[in-house]
Amino acid sequence: MEILKQFGVDWPHFIAQLILFLIVYFVLNRFAFAPLLKVLEERRKRIEEGQLNAEKIKKQLAEAELRYQEILRKANDDAQVMIEELRKTNEAFSQREMEKAVKESAAIVERARHEITSERNRMVDEVRREMVSLVVKTTAQVAGKVLSPEDQKRLSEEASKELAS
Amino acid sequence: MVFSPLPIASAELSAETPEFLTHSFLAWFTNSILVTAIVLGVIMWIVRSCTRKIEVIPGAGQNFLEAVVEGFYGAVEGILGDKMTRKSFGLLGTLFIFILISNWFGLLPGVGSIGWHEGDKFIPLLRPGTADMNMTIAMATVSMVLWFYWTMQVTGPVAFIKELFGVKGGMSGPILFLLVPLFLFVGVLEVVSILVRPVSLSLRLYGNIFAGENMLATMINIGQIFHFPNWLSSVLSCIVPIPFYFLELLIGFLQAMVFTLLILVYLQLSTAHEEH
Repeated sequence: MEILKQFGVDWPHFIAQLILFLIVYFVLNRFAFAPLLKVLEERRKRIEEGQLNAEKIKKQLAEAELRYQEILRKANDDAQVMIEELRKTNEAFSQREMEKAVKESAAIVERARHEITSERNRMVDEVRREMVSLVVKTTAQVAGKVLSPEDQKRLSEEASKELAS
Repeated sequence: MVFSPLPIASAELSAETPEFLTHSFLAWFTNSILVTAIVLGVIMWIVRSCTRKIEVIPGAGQNFLEAVVEGFYGAVEGILGDKMTRKSFGLLGTLFIFILISNWFGLLPGVGSIGWHEGDKFIPLLRPGTADMNMTIAMATVSMVLWFYWTMQVTGPVAFIKELFGVKGGMSGPILFLLVPLFLFVGVLEVVSILVRPVSLSLRLYGNIFAGENMLATMINIGQIFHFPNWLSSVLSCIVPIPFYFLELLIGFLQAMVFTLLILVYLQLSTAHEEH
């Protein structure tokens, strides 16, 4: 104890320093270490969770990629089938349309031919009537007399016969 | 108040209480207690400014403190294991940080060299806490009390006594009876070594820091000691202490490390069997 006194150690000073050290211990433990260790633990957990999530997402992405490829492949196949069907339908439709158009054009040609014939007949009749009238008028002028209706009728019939033959 | 012309406290080993306080209720208040209180204030300020708003994504202050705590925690965990580290990290961290700041505080200009004379005696205004044996004994006492408490908690008294006095090496048969007295004697030695631990811990730290302080003061006053002219003494007082300041910085760090590591090793020795 005497040696401690020589080094200046005594109870009041020892207790004062002890209390100060315990305060430092309390302050650091309560306000620095505990919250910091808590936040470090929390961060460690978050990083661990993040890594797990990243793994999960990577797996899901790979699955989604596979699914996407599958869907794309199926869509391609379906599209090919549809295109083929459409092509076949189109060909059949074109054939039918072609036949219909040919028929229609034939009918149009027939109708046109018929109209041309009837028009020609009508024109021939008209020319004939004009010719008869011309013959009657010319005859009256050559004869120098006024023709009676009976003469006109007879001349017309004769001229008609002549023109018809 | 004067600037000390002599090596500080070279004649006295104790921390000093100013005369006007000696007989008052503030008799316990010494220059080293003042410095300890200042160090406590500095620690509280650092802790407060670094952990005012603790977030998962840290700011610069929190980041710094986290790096210190995380690094130290990892080192302690590597030696003590998870269970004991949870219990003892607060003490070990406090010891390291407090001793380090106290030691380095003593290197600040004016600490130990500014004070007043009371008769022939020079009393420095500030004196590092770790250069006062009351402080080092207080730290050693707290550490050893907690060491004993945690050891009892983890191993239990029976296992502790068995570890101290029991025959090691898995001996059996008649040789066991021959070895019992030997191991009892070894146990007694072990108990003595445990009892001496607080003394060795406190003396080592106190001796290093106190000697360092005196050495720096001597280096500062080296010109006057050898009666050089005043101008040369002034030049020498600026140049000579520089390498010793670096040495003291290193010693301050090493002593903080040594004190903390010794407590760590004591804990590891007494609890390692249970942890594994």
